[in-house]
Amino acid sequence: MEQVLSALFEIASFGAIVVLVVLGLGIIASMMGIFNFAQGEFVLLGAYVTYVVHAAGLPVWLGMVAAPFAVGALGFVLERTVVRRFYAAPIVAMLGTYALGLIIREIVRGLIGGLYISVPEPIGGSINIGNMHFSTWRFMIIIITALVMVGSYLLLAKTRFGLKIRASLENPGLARASGISTPAIYGATFAFGAALAGLAGALVVPVFSLFADLGIRFLIQGFVAVMVGGVGSFAGPVAGAGLIGVLSAALPWVIAPVAADILVFVLAIVFVKFRPQGLIAGKGI
Amino acid sequence: MANETVSPEALPRASSAAPAKARRVLPIIEIVVLAIALVVPFVLEDYLTIFATRVLILALFALSFDLVWGYGGIMSFGQALFFGCAGYGVALLGRDLDVTSILLVLPAATLIGLTAALLIGGFLLLGRNPASVIFVSLGTLTGSYAADRLARGWYYLGGQNGIPSIPPMSLGQHDIVEGLEFYYLALGILIVCYLLCRFLVRSQFGLALTGLRENEARITFFGYQVQHLKAIVFALGGAIAGLSGGLYAFHEGFVWPNILGVVFSTQVVLYVLFGGSGTLIGAIIGAVVIEAASFWLSNTFQEIWPIILGVLLLLVIMFRPAGLISLIVSERERVGSFGQPGRRGR
Repeated sequence: MEQVLSALFEIASFGAIVVLVVLGLGIIASMMGIFNFAQGEFVLLGAYVTYVVHAAGLPVWLGMVAAPFAVGALGFVLERTVVRRFYAAPIVAMLGTYALGLIIREIVRGLIGGLYISVPEPIGGSINIGNMHFSTWRFMIIIITALVMVGSYLLLAKTRFGLKIRASLENPGLARASGISTPAIYGATFAFGAALAGLAGALVVPVFSLFADLGIRFLIQGFVAVMVGGVGSFAGPVAGAGLIGVLSAALPWVIAPVAADILVFVLAIVFVKFRPQGLIAGKGI
Repeated sequence: MANETVSPEALPRASSAAPAKARRVLPIIEIVVLAIALVVPFVLEDYLTIFATRVLILALFALSFDLVWGYGGIMSFGQALFFGCAGYGVALLGRDLDVTSILLVLPAATLIGLTAALLIGGFLLLGRNPASVIFVSLGTLTGSYAADRLARGWYYLGGQNGIPSIPPMSLGQHDIVEGLEFYYLALGILIVCYLLCRFLVRSQFGLALTGLRENEARITFFGYQVQHLKAIVFALGGAIAGLSGGLYAFHEGFVWPNILGVVFSTQVVLYVLFGGSGTLIGAIIGAVVIEAASFWLSNTFQEIWPIILGVLLLLVIMFRPAGLISLIVSERERVGSFGQPGRRGR
């Protein structure tokens, strides 16, 4: 019983991490139709900002608060200068954002060297129930993920800004005719997606530690999750991320970890092949 | 751009209208590159010849990607999967079965690449639902990543360290070791593959491919089996990638999981985009330029060279989407002319 509970906790916390990472990717892919290859590097940047703030002697939580704003601002600038040119061609967008990601990754690698740097948890310790110990920080990640998810949903579904975003997605021409500045909306959406990635990076860096290739593993996992969930809606990528995260965490308990890792990807691709629209089809929220 | 994307049926006529006037730049570039490649080993020192051989093998790999992306319009983000599978395949042949004869291992490498590409391409491309471009690119990317992880975790394949000290390739009793001999072997194979690809993309099949790349919907309405065409090109690309992977394994003498992985897959994308996709020779120039620049610059600017590479790539994608070669080759020549003008009865 205790073992099952701690396994469930592991699975839930890893699932939450994947959902957190995929949220930004999914919003950019669904709302703008761009598969952002630099998203993994936005996660890396969020982690790096947290590390820099920590290294400057300030509390870690301050870095975690600063990370989404810093990464979001960078995302906004990049959208204005580079990503904007790629909207017409999805493949070129992939390559362009890949180049952006390469630049960011190599800069960070130059700054930290080939090292693995650990960043302490802002809230250490563990919650003890009977003989079981749950890491407090992982617990916090689950809670924050839930809050961010609800917050993003409310932003997109209930606010005027969210309405404008969805309008620009649904029918850009009509949106422009109705007085919505679609370039501004796209810029803001991209910045929002980048900020979410930055937040994700900041929150998970105590768990994974900081290294230059931190983003790559999340990137592919994230893309697979977005495809499994279905592009075009808010709920799709989240559902896909939950499924992929839970599967990746749960399968190693059953079969050999190496095989589990690959099985998840193979299953996901086969699933998408036969259901291209994903778990949750349809546009909007 | 809009003026130059002529409809496929207008192509032969457009070229027959001015056969002599249009200056053909591509053949000149091809001959220059060939001439340089033939004399280079006599100018270089020995250790540089070994480096040049590696570049030739990578150029062959780039050629396979250019066939798939530049002509088939399939963004294969996992081309290294075929390269690496064949590399591992021949490494195992050499290690476990003691098969090193060039007459066996190179066909085996090609066959492994072809089979892997047929399986993966068939799965991703064929079927009731036509595959979206995004799905194919992410599917191949995922395949490459998964293969990398598998090789890292599988003890039989040597795990993280890969398979070291593969015996040299042999012809009868003679061992083909790195150096001049291997250089000209690689060059010969590259030339043969290049000519085959060139013939293919200038044939009627290539005409259908060009139409497919420029306007897929129209080609579908003409009654072509678009997905089948794509699967064939993908398989051919996989075969060439496999051949280059086999050569690479024997040239380096070892294989390790990186040659299956995502970073290597994207490396080849860089070569082709940088040089110019859809010209064949552009892929080769891209591979040579990037590898040579990496070789010289990574000594002096070890830290910032990857950043420079990224910035260059971004600039090329933003401002020169047709690559370096578009500086001297016109869009019209890039699309090319097909068949022999005047002899096609219409």
